[in-house]
Amino acid sequence: MSDQKTLYIDYSLCIGCETCEYVCRFANDTSRIHMSRTVDGVMVPLYCRHCENPKCANACTRGALKRDKDGAMILQPMLCRGCQTRNCILACPYSAMFETGKGVMVAKCDLCAQRRQVGMGPACVEMCPCGAIKYVDRDEIPKLETEKSRQAYEKVMEHLKFPGK
Amino acid sequence: MDPINFNFLCSEPAMPNGRSVGIIGAGPSGLAATGYLSCLGYQIEVYDKLPKPGGLMLFGIPGYRIPKLRIDLGTRQLERMAGVTFHTHTKICCSGPLHDEEGDHFCREILGFGDMIKKHDAIMICTGSWRSRRLEIPGENLPGVFSGLEFLFPIRAVKYNAPNVKLPDIAGKKVAVIGAGHSAVDAAHNAIHLGAAKVLHLYRRTIKECPCGTFEIEQLQAMGVEWVEKATPLRILGEEQVEGMEVSFSTPDGPQTKILDVDVIVAAIGETATPPFAKELGLENVRKGEVRWLHMTDIENVFVAGDALTGPSKIGKAIYSGLRAARSLANWLDLKAQNRLDAYDYNDLVANEEGFRRQS
Repeated sequence: MSDQKTLYIDYSLCIGCETCEYVCRFANDTSRIHMSRTVDGVMVPLYCRHCENPKCANACTRGALKRDKDGAMILQPMLCRGCQTRNCILACPYSAMFETGKGVMVAKCDLCAQRRQVGMGPACVEMCPCGAIKYVDRDEIPKLETEKSRQAYEKVMEHLKFPGK
Repeated sequence: MDPINFNFLCSEPAMPNGRSVGIIGAGPSGLAATGYLSCLGYQIEVYDKLPKPGGLMLFGIPGYRIPKLRIDLGTRQLERMAGVTFHTHTKICCSGPLHDEEGDHFCREILGFGDMIKKHDAIMICTGSWRSRRLEIPGENLPGVFSGLEFLFPIRAVKYNAPNVKLPDIAGKKVAVIGAGHSAVDAAHNAIHLGAAKVLHLYRRTIKECPCGTFEIEQLQAMGVEWVEKATPLRILGEEQVEGMEVSFSTPDGPQTKILDVDVIVAAIGETATPPFAKELGLENVRKGEVRWLHMTDIENVFVAGDALTGPSKIGKAIYSGLRAARSLANWLDLKAQNRLDAYDYNDLVANEEGFRRQS
């Protein structure tokens, strides 16, 4: 067991209804998950994987991105504040770091850190009408995958990939 | 399967706070508001014309997109854990004549709005957008012309044994579906399943611009649906019923008209909001963003949220609007109880937020 929690979204189940995005916005003021879609119509909620080897944290020169006790990669505003490089945003392969235009200027998913402290799970997971978002141990993800989810994932990664790479 | 957790803001049931709120409409915005307010200890009663809470999440969007069980378990959890009372088959009367919209067939009870205002400390209207947009072309009132909801709703509702609900009879017929949103895709799917001889799928732009994406259209084509793009319906032909449709095609040489041989037409081109008592409540003004109150109407303890306020949108926006209106309602009641309504934030308009500005 890795003991690292993360979100897993089955893109083949997502209908693009934006519930995750708006529930996140209500819970956190600025949403940390954003709906997008590929040209052929696969709905793509952009979200943080809390990677085992997080490129955002490697790119951050201030050590503002740190893993918490449940495995979530947390942005520490006190260290992030004032940085103008946006290295983390550029480094994320999943486009899951967001420029906010206010305050600390960067927002990212913290797996609803404040909710976890009082025994609740991430809000988007609770409210997704399709049950497409799961809050899981990283090790559990392969068990959740299906042929359809893998196909949708391939289409999504084709879409997110930096052009020419 | 886990339930959708409308009570996502609290980890355990709240102590009753002695206030009662009536919520009209059990769709995404109504249920989100129900979840928020029941987490604060409000006694919530939800009124809905349909046989089950869930709104278009159950009766509009097909089960392979939204699992019905997840919604059913979620509303059952509201009943059992949060003590919410659902009054189904119930319509709150009524700006238009009954049987004006899809789903009215289910009503067994009609309650007056005046009594509601007296019964509850506050009311929230979350009735959504049920009236279908019309093509506005000659012949569209002929038998055989359906809106997206008129066509799809009975297919979902027929399981619930409502009187006067029957499946559209299209076996062996030639069907034209107009529009390229998900409703149009669902209509084309269902037309095939109900045994249509031929299904034409018309869209005024090209496949690249489809709101549903190219993938859905390709899947329909694989099922035998004929895709017809850059096509604008001009008029529907026929005396007693649909006998054909005159369509204008945009071509490199300018527009060309053609007559399509069809006997059923499904115009899945969207819905408009159907707020009850729009005039009395001043909703026309709310929707233009001219009224200062967030989600609040001309009657002081009546709030409005979701698609009834902003017009057709996605589930996410409806949920957010329901949550915001519920928060505003709770603030209003708290301040009113302390005789401090001057502190109520009348400028806290959801219409001012990014993504909620009115399009037109």
